[in-house]
Amino acid sequence: MRGAITYRWPLSLIAVFNIIGYLFLFFSDSPYNPMTLAVGAAATLIICIACFVIIKKDYGDEYLILIVSMLLSFGLMMIYRLDENLGIKQLIWVAIGFVMFFVFYHVYIKVYKWDRFAYIYISLSAVLYLVTLILGKNINGAVNWIVIGGFSFQPAELCKILFVFFLASYFKNPDNLFLGERIRDERLRVLSNRALLMLVAYCNIGFLVLQRELGTALLLYITFLVVVYVFCKDLKMFLLNSAFIVPGAILGYFKFYHLRVRIDAWINPWADITDKGYQIAQSLFAIASGGFFGTGIGMGRPDMVPAVSTDFIFSAICEEMGIFGGVAVVLLCMLFTYRGIKIVLGLRDRFKKVLALGIVTMIGLQTFIIIGGVIKLIPLTGITLPFISYGGSSLVASFIALGILQAVSNPRFDRIGGEADG
Amino acid sequence: MDENKKIIQVLVAICFLFFIIVGYLTYIQLFRSRDLMANVYNRRQYKIEENTARGNIYDRNGVLLAYSEANGEVQERIYPYGALYSQVIGYSSKVYGKSQIEAAYNNVLLGIDDLSQVFGMVSGSNYPTRKGNNLYLTIDHKLQALGGELLNGRKGAVVAMDPKTGEVLALASSPNFDPHAKKLEENWQSMIESPDAPFLCRATQGLYAPGSTFKILVTAAAVEKGLESKVFDDNGSVVIDGREIRNSESRAYGKIDLKRALAVSSNVVYAQLGTELGMESFVDITYRAGFEKEIPFDIPTSKSRFPYENMNKIDLAEAAIGQGKVLVSPLHMAMITSAIANEGVMMEPVLVKSITNSEGKTTKELKPVKLGNVMEKSVAEKIKIMMQEVVTSGTGHNAAIKGINVAGKTGTAENELSVKKKAKAHSWFVGFAPAEDPKIAVAVIVEYGGSGGDVAASIARRIMSEYLSN
Repeated sequence: MRGAITYRWPLSLIAVFNIIGYLFLFFSDSPYNPMTLAVGAAATLIICIACFVIIKKDYGDEYLILIVSMLLSFGLMMIYRLDENLGIKQLIWVAIGFVMFFVFYHVYIKVYKWDRFAYIYISLSAVLYLVTLILGKNINGAVNWIVIGGFSFQPAELCKILFVFFLASYFKNPDNLFLGERIRDERLRVLSNRALLMLVAYCNIGFLVLQRELGTALLLYITFLVVVYVFCKDLKMFLLNSAFIVPGAILGYFKFYHLRVRIDAWINPWADITDKGYQIAQSLFAIASGGFFGTGIGMGRPDMVPAVSTDFIFSAICEEMGIFGGVAVVLLCMLFTYRGIKIVLGLRDRFKKVLALGIVTMIGLQTFIIIGGVIKLIPLTGITLPFISYGGSSLVASFIALGILQAVSNPRFDRIGGEADG
Repeated sequence: MDENKKIIQVLVAICFLFFIIVGYLTYIQLFRSRDLMANVYNRRQYKIEENTARGNIYDRNGVLLAYSEANGEVQERIYPYGALYSQVIGYSSKVYGKSQIEAAYNNVLLGIDDLSQVFGMVSGSNYPTRKGNNLYLTIDHKLQALGGELLNGRKGAVVAMDPKTGEVLALASSPNFDPHAKKLEENWQSMIESPDAPFLCRATQGLYAPGSTFKILVTAAAVEKGLESKVFDDNGSVVIDGREIRNSESRAYGKIDLKRALAVSSNVVYAQLGTELGMESFVDITYRAGFEKEIPFDIPTSKSRFPYENMNKIDLAEAAIGQGKVLVSPLHMAMITSAIANEGVMMEPVLVKSITNSEGKTTKELKPVKLGNVMEKSVAEKIKIMMQEVVTSGTGHNAAIKGINVAGKTGTAENELSVKKKAKAHSWFVGFAPAEDPKIAVAVIVEYGGSGGDVAASIARRIMSEYLSN
């Protein structure tokens, strides 16, 4: 088998990376903390076993999980180093994430005709948004959390996936989803379908903006544009929707205070460094102090950066593992995107193609948006770094997306999700 | 399939975005990290400083001028000579940052060298107290102390340097201030608002009309044009385009040559000479002497000015006697004088002689650097002889030292108050000794000190004889 030859080497590298990293952490701080070794061992085991199962049991593509495992290792190690308790929680989340990965993988291949449920995706998203608006807890200035019995999660993460499913259902048979039988006129049907598509898309984005999930809103918008670009026969729809960014940005800048703050802090964080520019300035200080090779894990001061275990974890990686560490993360994400797109190219079924492209673009762009934000390349929007940042909701959502992508990549289940176009 | 083509375009676009990130990260690291590390809001700096005893600063002979002492948890910076070095070494305050040498050599004093910064080996927290590197200045403490003493609270500056190496031996400025962090925080506001500008290092950043000291450059230009043996008629005053230019006390010297004219500092002769030389000569010699150019130095300096776009006869006459729009800093005047002493070659001024690490090992030694040729060796030799006459039988007799040949030039620079007869002129003296083998060059200015031959020349004599007696 091809997999049997290729996976051992990268998998052992991941194990070595973990073992060395946690040993450094263990020895860098006396009195020695046995918990470090325990977490390290557990993390290495979970990741290796999961990889092993996925590769051995023929779950489709072998590379995605290897890349993701490396990202997970970076994140888990960094979070544990920043805050021991968060690290242990994150380890549990990783375990839950892998479970969800398998669950969704199997659910996906057991259920046929995923493209028939478009209305369910829309209504489920709507319910989630409304629930968030009504029951939402304001955490860090964003009303995007639902707390149920001490357990909090961010519905927006699920909505992202639902949105991709919706797009896939729509483009399975383009411009035919809504009002299929009622409108006979071809032109009118296309027009009204596209109008409704845009309505759904912008409702999604609008709700996210209302929740102040600017990063996720941006992510959804660009993913929508990408899918429209690729799967609409003509460019008109793409150009029309791209054009919305100009009035949208201007309106947002003047109407939404928190958006204005972000843009001002991006243009010149030094002007108001004690307040609005504080986060980004601290992030840049961390990156600068790392140099090319980093201070060494446990040796820097990433604790000076606010929200360092979630949004700003990339700055911490740059400080302690250097620019080379940071570049490694970026290149891993690039490899992930490449591998994902490669899967997309090989798919023949329209629904799967859209679904996979949506997931890959979303994860790739999410990485770009947050890394670009913390290094002041683009305005900062609060969003997590997939598979690396601390956070149950985002990690689980990423794992669900990965599970679906993995299932789609498996040629054994070609008939799932609708008949092939041929 | 058309869709797949578009999908590949999407892949290329996303990869392009990732490459931009990689490029931007590299850019930050290569070009921005220095500023970011030094930003006052970067608390990592303080963490490093809290764990680091800043290195010591010594004079050229090992006299301790600044050191750090643990005061409980914090490192306190001690300056044993108080205000004397406030404008050379500067201050190091948590509130107001750092200045002068403390700022320019901050990383050296903290023991963060460039290499360790690039490779990120600076740790914020996990080191025990470290010791930074030490600096040996080129300053001779005895001369610096004497300079401060001789200024005696009068506004002005004393600069002494080794003309052959450019090493600055003394750089005293007055008024100055107590650089101790606590005193600084107490007095900051009043010092900022003070019209005396105590933070201004007059020696390097003060700009003055050079007065007659500028004549040494004009003489060089004249010698280059072959005018050294020309005889001038000096009636005590001359009218150029309706503007009367007079000698000091309107004294008339009759028929005199260039050498004599420099010795008695005849404004009448030089005003005429200036109109004869023309603008091109002025621009040429001032350019070679480094006017309108930044002086490369460890602490901030001001550019000397020769800002003429075009010059009429009055401008030429005024510039020739160092008035008008010509402005120089005392440091630059010392450099010009040194160039004449050093066969026409101007050396780059240096303030730090060597760097030693915390174990006392010398890690870096600064070597003399040639800045440029101001004039031919033969021209410099002629000026040198003329400048000796200034001291032996001219306005500079107060600078004469028994048994040593001193070369010099006095200056009495009119200023905004002296033209209204509200105060005396600025008193200038530049010179070097011994003339046959120059060891020290000085530039002295005392604001509102009156005639350069009295106040400034006496100070210069004391400085030179102190240095040469060792």
